[in-house]
Amino acid sequence: MADTAPPMEPPKLAHTPRARLDATLLRILGLAFTVFIIAYIAIPVVVTLVMSFNEASVIRFPIKAWSFAWYQDFFASPQWVDALKSSVIIALGTTVISTVSGVLAAWAFERFTFPLKSVVYLVIMLPLFMPGVVLGLGVAMAFGNVSIFGYDIYGTRGLVMLAHSLWAMPLVFMLMEATFRTVDHRIVEASYDLGGRPVQTFFEIVLPSVSTGIISSALFAFVISLNEFVMALFLTTRDTQTLPVLMWLSLRSAGTPRLAVASVVLAGAVFVSLALIMVWYVRQLKKT
Amino acid sequence: MSGASETAALDSPAPRRTFWSAALMPWLLMSPALLIAIAFFGLPILFMGRMSFNAHIDQRFYVPDFTWDNYAAMLTDPTFRNAIWTTARLALISSIATVIIGYAFAMLVWLKPKRWRLAFVALALCPLLISEISIIFGWWMFFPKNGLLSYALVSSGLITDKISLMYTEFAAFVGLTYVTLPFCFFILLSIFDGIDKKVLEASADLGAAPLRTFHEVLLPLTKGGIAAAFAQSFIWAVGTYATPSALGPDTLWTIGYLIQEQMLGKHNWPRAAAFSIVLTVGVAIVMMIIRMLSSKRTALNG
Amino acid sequence: MADTSALELDRLRRAFGGVVAVDDVSIDVKRGEFVTLLGPSGSGKTSTLRLIGGFEKPDAGAIRINGGRVDHLPAYQRDTATIFQTGALFPHKTVAENVAYGLRMRGVARADIAPRVRQALDIVRLAGFEERYPAQMSGGQKQRVALARSMVVRPAILLFDEPLSALDLSLRLQLRAEIKRLHDEIGFSAIYVTHDQGEAMAMSSRVAVMRSGRIEQIDRPEKVFGEPASEFVYTFIGESCCLKTQMASGAAADADGATIDLRLANGLADGDWRLYVRPSRLQIDRADLDNRLKARLDFTEFLGDVHRYHFKAGRIELFVDHQGAIAHRPGDLVDIGWRSADMVAYR
Repeated sequence: MADTAPPMEPPKLAHTPRARLDATLLRILGLAFTVFIIAYIAIPVVVTLVMSFNEASVIRFPIKAWSFAWYQDFFASPQWVDALKSSVIIALGTTVISTVSGVLAAWAFERFTFPLKSVVYLVIMLPLFMPGVVLGLGVAMAFGNVSIFGYDIYGTRGLVMLAHSLWAMPLVFMLMEATFRTVDHRIVEASYDLGGRPVQTFFEIVLPSVSTGIISSALFAFVISLNEFVMALFLTTRDTQTLPVLMWLSLRSAGTPRLAVASVVLAGAVFVSLALIMVWYVRQLKKT
Repeated sequence: MSGASETAALDSPAPRRTFWSAALMPWLLMSPALLIAIAFFGLPILFMGRMSFNAHIDQRFYVPDFTWDNYAAMLTDPTFRNAIWTTARLALISSIATVIIGYAFAMLVWLKPKRWRLAFVALALCPLLISEISIIFGWWMFFPKNGLLSYALVSSGLITDKISLMYTEFAAFVGLTYVTLPFCFFILLSIFDGIDKKVLEASADLGAAPLRTFHEVLLPLTKGGIAAAFAQSFIWAVGTYATPSALGPDTLWTIGYLIQEQMLGKHNWPRAAAFSIVLTVGVAIVMMIIRMLSSKRTALNG
Repeated sequence: MADTSALELDRLRRAFGGVVAVDDVSIDVKRGEFVTLLGPSGSGKTSTLRLIGGFEKPDAGAIRINGGRVDHLPAYQRDTATIFQTGALFPHKTVAENVAYGLRMRGVARADIAPRVRQALDIVRLAGFEERYPAQMSGGQKQRVALARSMVVRPAILLFDEPLSALDLSLRLQLRAEIKRLHDEIGFSAIYVTHDQGEAMAMSSRVAVMRSGRIEQIDRPEKVFGEPASEFVYTFIGESCCLKTQMASGAAADADGATIDLRLANGLADGDWRLYVRPSRLQIDRADLDNRLKARLDFTEFLGDVHRYHFKAGRIELFVDHQGAIAHRPGDLVDIGWRSADMVAYR
């Protein structure tokens, strides 16, 4: 700061007209940006929500008549309900696979030192940064013709779960590694000291103290899998199609308000699970 | 003390049976994660690497071969050359837009009183929690001639004829930025949260105008965050192909779109594999650059 | 002999990198004994405790608990229980669950757990706090829960890792008395780590003074205070004045070689010496005592019970604790005397 005023000159404080003008201008800019960002994020959400109650079968504004017709249509269609079921099953499977494997790996990183630690870290984290199209294609090519006991792996929900875990597991791992670092290692030692074996200590002491982190990362895993459709597009067949895949394929042919309903249902599933976790979290807070 | 060492010698030597289990334990714990990463990422990448040298003859998926044709095609084939250029351009512009909007958003949340914070964070979470396909569809209903935008502008009297922004590069940018915004926002918010707000008062106290304060105080403090947020957005934007291909013009072919097209449309596995390998290598290079930049930053900070 | 030892450490050694934290430490703790490891930070006392608890492995030496060798066993298979500096209570478990934890881990029958937990909480005067969570308790209460949690499993030896250092002074004194009372009543065996000599003196059967990983002296508190085995022990325990002198054919000089008026009952050989006397044993205006020094009064501090008079003789600075006022003003030359038994000399 060589160009500041000489020490004896009184500093220009924020009382000059120029400064006041600046402050007003800033406030207006801030307000304008706030409106812009709210509108930007809200537009697709609001448009979808509004359109899902449209009675007409074409996407067209303004909406003339309102009804629940497309909701009825959605839940009456076996194809769409099956896709929703498939999505939820795959998302639950991904959550279990990636939470268990991610939590265990993060605990290994927190608790032990072992050779090649940074290489292992890279191996676990790398898939998170890979485009879905590359992961989906790779898994599809490598496992396209593989069958176990005469049973084709390709097209099964299990394969999609594992593919989705390529994104969900590193995310759980990353979040849990940070969470485990906050665990007071002295309570772990205290448990060993009182005769708690490593496995007992892990389940009785470590896991409960990171339960919030585990639940949050499990939620992320669930949401990622539920919403993902590029990998699923490469890996599912007509029988195992997920809701986002079906939406993508329908959008390519023709858009109807049924798609809006599907969007609302999908987002609804996410927000319901979020709300359940909020309730759990508040109850947990009350405990202590 | 000689008596003590004699009894020590009589004791059974301290066995080291805990040694093996202690060395194996971390690998046992990591085995599920490593299995997933190696079997479903490492293996497929190797498989694709091999596949990319196969030939594609007579509408069969692939014919075992060893040819550089698929890579050579990328340099000679104008479609693919254009796709690389399109992908890079889209990702670059949308990342810049994302960083600017995300930076302003994060700064706004940082500056506003605490009671607004939860609402803003919830707002920022929305694009993250909503499926990309729903986002695409939302904008798909906003931009066309019969969409909300056109209707709003006509009914407010700003324009007289219906307009459509659908299937333009602008629509693609808007969608892409929307998808990458939350990542960028949360990275930058965490950087801002690490800054003591008193630096602003200190700077104003020393007589600096707001813009000057921003330029001389905030920007240098958040430089690292901006780089990280930009890189993150860029990687994400490169890999996201559904949004630009659905909202942009038909000619807006990104690498991701070409991969899907080769795989599902043309059933040309070797070509799709080669494209994927190039995309993977590109992402890895960007990641390595980030790592280098971030390690240099920590070195500078001591 | 061996069957009355709760804990034996036999030439224990542990190095971290190049630094030897525990160097050839041997201690034999009899049943019911309360042994304190006292030393400045970095002297290896906490490392020794962690070796006993099983949180670190020794490089050499043996640890025996009740006569059986344990240094190859992990922490959870050793019959020890540690009271940590911060308590290390399990934050998600209630007080009762915390205390019951060790019993459950040791497979104590469910029916026996509840009465033992109640009894342990009674002993530390926390009956009625069973359903509280640690976050709802004060620092002193938490530390008493930690005490109950460790005592309830009746370990062969209790390990205290500076349990009072995080508390404020009055609470520290109160809990110190409580631990002492419990030891007198129950007679548990314990190793207690502290850097506070007051704690060490007040509670211990024996004190081991540690320095750079070694035990300098291990003995009853009175012995350690009254007959320190080394210069380090002397200076670490209690206050002392150091007179650095050069002796040359019976004449004394300060470190710079300026002559000082020092008379000693027993002459010292020529060379550099460090003479130590406790400030409470120095007496003012006592030219009649065997040893004496003429020094100038520098300034006075009022410490409550006593006045502390600071003197200078050449480069030598010393202070004398004296009850009541003296007739001297700063600048006066004063005779300070002491008995031969109260002085130690090192060269």
